Formats: sequence, C-alpha cells, structure tokens
Amino acid sequence: MIQIHFTSEGVTAKVPKGTTILEAARGTNVLIESPCNAAGTCGKCKVKVRKSDLKNVDFQDKGLTEKELSDGIVLACHAKVMDDIDVISIEKNQNKTMKIISKGQSFDVELDGYIKKRVQDGVTKVFAGKNLICEESGNTINETFGIVVDIGTTTLVASIVHLDSAKELISRSTLNPQSLVAQDVLSRIKIASDEQGLEKMYTSIIQEINGLIDEMCENTGVSQNNIYEVVFSGNTTMIHLAANVNPYSLGQYPYTPELKGGCHIPAEKLGLHVSPYGLVYFPPIISAYVGPDITSGVLASRLQYENGVTLFVDIGTNGEMVICSAGELSATSTAAGPAFEGMNITCGMRAANGAVEYFEITDHDEVEIGTIGDAEAVGICGSGLLDIVGELVDHGVIDKKGKFAKPDNESLSDALRSRITSYNGKPAFMISGSVVITQKDIRQVQLAKGAVRAGVEFLMISRNVNALGVDKVLIAGSFGYHLREKSLINIGLLPRDFEGKINFVGNTSQSGGTAFLLNKACREEMESLVKKIQVVELSNFKDFDKIFVENLTF
Amino acid sequence: MDKKEVLFQKLSDAVLEMETENTVMYAEEVIENGIDAFEAIDKGLSNGMNRAGQLFEEEEYFVPELLMCSDAMYAGLGILKPHIKLSTSADRFKVVIGVIKGDTHDIGKNLVKLMLETSDFDVIDLGRDVPPADFVRRAKEESASIICISTLMTTTMDGMSEVIHILNTENIRNQFKVMVGGGPISQNFCDKIGADGYSVNAADAVRLAKKLAGAEAALK
Repeated sequence: MIQIHFTSEGVTAKVPKGTTILEAARGTNVLIESPCNAAGTCGKCKVKVRKSDLKNVDFQDKGLTEKELSDGIVLACHAKVMDDIDVISIEKNQNKTMKIISKGQSFDVELDGYIKKRVQDGVTKVFAGKNLICEESGNTINETFGIVVDIGTTTLVASIVHLDSAKELISRSTLNPQSLVAQDVLSRIKIASDEQGLEKMYTSIIQEINGLIDEMCENTGVSQNNIYEVVFSGNTTMIHLAANVNPYSLGQYPYTPELKGGCHIPAEKLGLHVSPYGLVYFPPIISAYVGPDITSGVLASRLQYENGVTLFVDIGTNGEMVICSAGELSATSTAAGPAFEGMNITCGMRAANGAVEYFEITDHDEVEIGTIGDAEAVGICGSGLLDIVGELVDHGVIDKKGKFAKPDNESLSDALRSRITSYNGKPAFMISGSVVITQKDIRQVQLAKGAVRAGVEFLMISRNVNALGVDKVLIAGSFGYHLREKSLINIGLLPRDFEGKINFVGNTSQSGGTAFLLNKACREEMESLVKKIQVVELSNFKDFDKIFVENLTF
Repeated sequence: MDKKEVLFQKLSDAVLEMETENTVMYAEEVIENGIDAFEAIDKGLSNGMNRAGQLFEEEEYFVPELLMCSDAMYAGLGILKPHIKLSTSADRFKVVIGVIKGDTHDIGKNLVKLMLETSDFDVIDLGRDVPPADFVRRAKEESASIICISTLMTTTMDGMSEVIHILNTENIRNQFKVMVGGGPISQNFCDKIGADGYSVNAADAVRLAKKLAGAEAALK
C-alpha cells in the first residue's frame, strides 16, 4: 500500500500501488470534480502534485500545457500513483455563484390541486384525490403545502408552494451532486445500470433534495408534516434515478423508458423529508430523451392551444424540442454533446464566476465582453461561446465553413486581425487575457449546433412546415435563457427566418411542474396529450446524415 | 515534371479543392492520353484525398469539405475505374465496420467507412446496433483483416470489449486487428479492453488501418 496525502484537506488515502489520484480521492471524502467520469477528455480534474513527487506518478501529458506540466499539474483520473505523494491542491471548477434560473413562463392555473382538506368536528381530514391519507387535530387548512423539484442534469431547483393560495413561498437551487461524478446523462445511465451505482446516484440526489427541503422549511417555518405532495420534473434519466428505477434501457436502442410517468410513488418510499403520508407525482414521460421537463414545458406554454405553428426548444446537452401545428404535436431530441455546457472547449467552463457570458464586436471592431459576477475573465460558458462564435461569423473572422481567417486577411480591420493568434500551433482568437477560442472549439460548436438545427429541420418536416411558416419559437431552459436571438441565428442554430419570433421562456420545467401541483386536471390533460405526441426518432431518417452535414456550416 | 505527373498533380489538386467537374475533366484526359488509370487513381485521386484528410486533422477542413472532396474523388473514380488493366482487388485489405449493439448513431462510422474506401480498403459495412457476435462472425466469413467498431454512447461502449472477449474465447484473436473509435472512446479505453488501436477521427483511422494492415501483412 502507498499513501496519498491531500494536504489542504488534511486527508490521507492508503491505496494499492497503481491507483489513480481520482480513485483514491473517491475512497475518501475529498472531492475532485470529474464530469467526464475519468474518460480523460474534460480536463476538469486537474490536481497539483509536489514537484519532487512527480517521479512517483505515472501520468499522461495529454491535454496539459507545458507550464502546467512544469508546475506539477496532472489529470487526477489518469495519474497512477506508484509511491507516496502529496497532492497540494485541487482545481475547483464548481462555484457557489453558479447561475440557475428558477422561474419560467406560466399561465393562470385554476386552483384545484390533488390534495384537499376538509374540517369536521375539530378534525382536519387530508385527501389525496379520493383517498383519505391522514387526519390532523384542529383546523389545519391554512397549513397545506406542496413542493416542486426540477431535477436538471446539472442543477436542482426546488420550491415550496402554499396550495391554498397558489403562492410560492420560497425557492432554492443547487448543483446536482451527480454532476460531480459524471457530467453527462449517458455516463450516469452507465453508472446506475448496476445496483450499487443506482443506489449511489439515487441516494445522492434524494439527500440533496432533502437538504433543500430542510433549508426551505427552516426559512419559512413550514412543517415538513404539512407537505403532502411533491412534483418531480426533469429529464427522463434524472427522473429514473430519483425514483430509484434502473435506467439501463434508456441507454440502449430502442431507448425505452422503464417509467412512463403520470403516476404517484409514496414519498416515504423515496425517503423524502415531507409528510409520511405524502406522495410524489411524476408527470408523463414523452420518450427516453424527451422527458417530464418537456411535458411540464408544454403545459406551461400551453403549446397545444397556440394558433398557428409554434416550436418549443430546450437547448442543452440534448436539444429537446416539440412542434405544434393546429393542435398536433411532434417531439424529438438530438445529441448536441456537451459543448454548450462549456465541455470539450479549450477555455470552457460552467456558468460560474468569471465566465465570459456576453460577447460583442462593436461598430469600431472593438471587443466587448461581460463576465458572470463582473469578475476577471477566466473562461467561457455556453452563452458566451454562442455569442463569440456568432459575432466572429458575423464579422468574417470565421468563414461560412467555420475556418478562421488568416492573420494577414486584409478585409479584416487591424483591431480584429491583431486578436487572431495561435494556440498550441493552431489558429485561435484572443477573447481576454489568456482566454481564447480555438479552431477546434469552433468545430465543436459546429457539431452541436448542426445537431440541434437538424432536429429542428426534421421536426418541421414532420408537420410539413418550413421555417417561414413557423409563427413562434419558444426557447426554454436555464441555458437558453441566457442566449441572444442574434447569436442563435448568426451561428445558424436556428434558421434566419425565425428572426423576431423568438421568445425566451425560462425554466418551464419548474413553472409547468407548479401547474401540475396546483391543478389535478392538468395531469389528466397532459397524460392524454402525451400519448398523442408523435415521437420523431432522428436516427431512423435515411437522410439525417445529409441534413446534419448541411447544417454544420454557418 | 512530365505530362503524366502534371496531370496527377492536377487530379490531386482538384479533389483537394472539391472541384468535381475538373476532377472528371482531368480523369478523361488521363484516359485520352493512354496513361495508366491505376496509377492515376493512386497518385492523383487518392493522393488528393490523403491531403484532404491531412487538412481535416489540421482542422483546416471539416466534415462538409471532406465529404465534398470524396464526391469529387468518386466522380473521378467513375471515369478511371473501368480502365484499370489488372485486377488489384486481391491486394486490398478487408475491413468489417459497424456501430456496436445498443447504439444507432452512425455518422462517425459512415465517415470512417468513406475514408477507408477512398484509401483503397475493401469495407464491409455491418450497419448499426450490431451484436458483438456478428462482428466476429462476419469478420470470419469475409476473411477480414480488421474489425472496426464505433459508438457515440457511453452506455454501449462495453460491447466493444465483448467483441474482443469472443475473439479470445474462439482463440482467433491474432487473426484480426481491432480498431475502436467514437465520442466516449479514448486510447485509455482501447488499452483497457485490449484493442489494437484507437483513432480520434476519420483521417486518423485511415492511418491506423494502414499501420495495422502493414503489421498484418508482415505476419502473413
């Protein structure tokens, strides 16, 4: 056995020779972020090893700069430890200031929840639907609460709603703890495909939700015994994991969900900190990759009642989308990959302090940037990335094919030309300080936007409309909320014919979840609507390749 | 440079510049001048495609350019192929390629297939959602040299090690070279499952296949 001493945490791990630093940390309470689950691709698990100890580490120099190497920085997931070492610092990508959107567009919901109370002879009877679930002494009608949780791949948002007044008392958000172990949905399906992994994923999410509930109750004085119903909104995988259901089948063609939604599970069974008689409602699931978050979004945006043609898009690692034409709905999802989350991007990062989130080239070809928290720029988050690429395309720094202009290109102003630089011998553009965007990053954006755009194109085909014929476009999700119409159109993620029709509707997974909580008729309505939604499976289209490739260009 | 070489250079350039019409024109010129068609394919068309692959790796070219280059190359091939005097197909290395079971994402696989074909490999496409046993069965039936497995999904990558497991169990592991690739795949994963090589993109896959085929030839 050898010893790995994490100096700043004051923890020592005793592990067999050849164990990676990440594996050693996972056996202790030392947290090293590993969003790509040790594939060695994301570069987010960098740790610093005492230089004199480097000889005891068998590591790969892949993805590390010369400076990092000389500073003793290694990727924890690929650094095998052969003898005792000190790990002197761990890179922290996570940040408490992360931007999470908890509000979304909604509509006036008639108050008619599933939970009802009736007072008789000094006793309050609590009903869930027609079933009497418990009795409380005295009149507790005013003490009736529900909770909505939006379980996102990256973030959790929870709120307590007073069911008698429809008033949201409090809302709290945090990072989905699973994202520290595996950033993407597929890695989590893989981990949770065996019992032990599922247990770990399920427990960590429930613990975190309970933490949010405890905090909210403490802040509002709401008793956990008066919370009778919880709505879980989120993507299909997250819902499986939160319900302790093995997600294996979601990761294998034909991608079938085990859970169908439109059902209740006793809250006690899931170990939630609410009334022991409480229930958890799961909105109906459209497909393996179009989940209850989208059902909630359809509900919140009243999509099926829109006149004309409306397209609803949630842009993230998967682009999920629904189109409605004359009350008929089609849905699909497309694998955009993690570029929009700042992964696989040279200077990519989550939407945390110091992330470039806004980028504009002024009329005088000067670069204007905005960072989260107005901090010094340290990286680029998704919205910044789209802004940057959109502006560079618009100003000819990147051509239609996605290639950087040469530094001696005379059609560019000196100001822009001077920012074209090189990074590891490849073309790049200087954003601010050491933050750059490289040719490889542009290619990643092209792949991601090509995938979403191809999804949009096939969805329009499914309803026999073209871009001009689309009347309204709703962009949902917390990522989408930070985007600008201009950038979406400049990079061609959406057709130019959508100009002026784009609305950003925010976290409709949360607002739709609240509607589910407040009105039981919404549930029946959506349960029957979801059955009628046509699910478009992109990989079954013969010319998907062709449309995808066509949409790789700007 | 004699006329022949000038023409080969023009063919190569036309492919690289994605000029389908010019490629056809120069290919016809090759025939009219009685120049060896096989040599024109090798030193003209394939050479152009190799250069395109190189630019792809250097991030100068992207997927659409690569596909347009191959369009030009195939147009030229259509003219030259009927004039090849000797059948050389016996020398071509056979590759079976497919997307592993559970996954239906095949754009990457199609690109690798295309690049291998343009480099004169004989490629048998098994499609997608292919069970591990089918890779082995078809490789045996076709007497292939290389088994090429792709996946985009983390959830299906373990099927790749199953292919290797079957080869080991049947005691035929040394008869085939196994190449792996796709979004979640890395050199590390390749080493872990005991595959012969990993390539990061389609152009790299060609280089790897040539290297593995070379090793294969040396064994025979």
